[in-house]
Amino acid sequence: MDAAHRETGGPSPKESWDSIQETLERTRSSMYVAGSATILVVSGAMAAVGLLAEYAIATWGSELRADYPWISAPLWLALVAVMMVANSVIGSRAGQRAAPGESSRSAGMRVFFFWLAVAAAAFTLPGVAGAWTGEDSAAETLRTVIGIIGLGYVLFGIMVRPTVAVIGVGIVAAFFAPSYLLDDAALAVSAALILVVSVAGMLWLRKSGTP
Amino acid sequence: MSDEGRVLNETIHQSTRLRIMTLLVYQPSADRVAYGFVQQTLGLTGGNLTIHLRKLEEAGYIAMTKEFVDAKPRTWVRATPEGLRAFADYLGNLQRALHMSPEGDGG
Repeated sequence: MDAAHRETGGPSPKESWDSIQETLERTRSSMYVAGSATILVVSGAMAAVGLLAEYAIATWGSELRADYPWISAPLWLALVAVMMVANSVIGSRAGQRAAPGESSRSAGMRVFFFWLAVAAAAFTLPGVAGAWTGEDSAAETLRTVIGIIGLGYVLFGIMVRPTVAVIGVGIVAAFFAPSYLLDDAALAVSAALILVVSVAGMLWLRKSGTP
Repeated sequence: MSDEGRVLNETIHQSTRLRIMTLLVYQPSADRVAYGFVQQTLGLTGGNLTIHLRKLEEAGYIAMTKEFVDAKPRTWVRATPEGLRAFADYLGNLQRALHMSPEGDGG
């Protein structure tokens, strides 16, 4: 509706009240997702690197896996640590560019601790179940880790922006579909699909107005 | 405009300007926000946003500043103390109008 019409007609008090509520929610949401388009691609790239490394170990490193059944744990620990640091820097810079105030800093800290909790759960839950050190449990461990991270995306999306939840479902599907439908090449295909979903998610987030 | 609406500040009551002021007063201590953040969050075109920011600036409700960050120009927007007062008054009048209106209590 054009401004001139609004000037003469004007919204009703109820419409104005609803608009205030919607704008407050939208502003809060924008602060929480600041930088998430770039973060999504970085995370997707790191996940793809991890899956390709798992594929390489499964294809050419069976002796390595037999000698060190826990080899996946340090691999993913290193990747997730790099991802958390990179994403924290990206998120912080995006927040400072958009709204360099207390509300932005507070939102950034909440997002950081949310994902720290998800990453910790993705490691410790398979750990306490003994999956990281178990023989022949590499595939199940990976499914559990990706499932927990996917749950993180869905929960974050439900609380902050539904787009992120849909992207999370896409990431989980990109991993699980090949793992159940394909055999030897499943991990490599999952790596490629996760990268595709991450880039598509980045474009979708940018188009929907994510700072 | 309805009878209740007549007591509402015309400058703020316009729907786009109401959304802009809401976004700005959400910032504690009237912290500044980037022009691009306002545009993306509210889904406005640059031209539309600029028109409404100018009206709010002329009313003294917001202040805009420009600076160079990494050799790129950046425009910042913040609510002025006068704007914060006007918005608080507007909210009070809006709540009164809602109680007088048959539309409901405003959630």
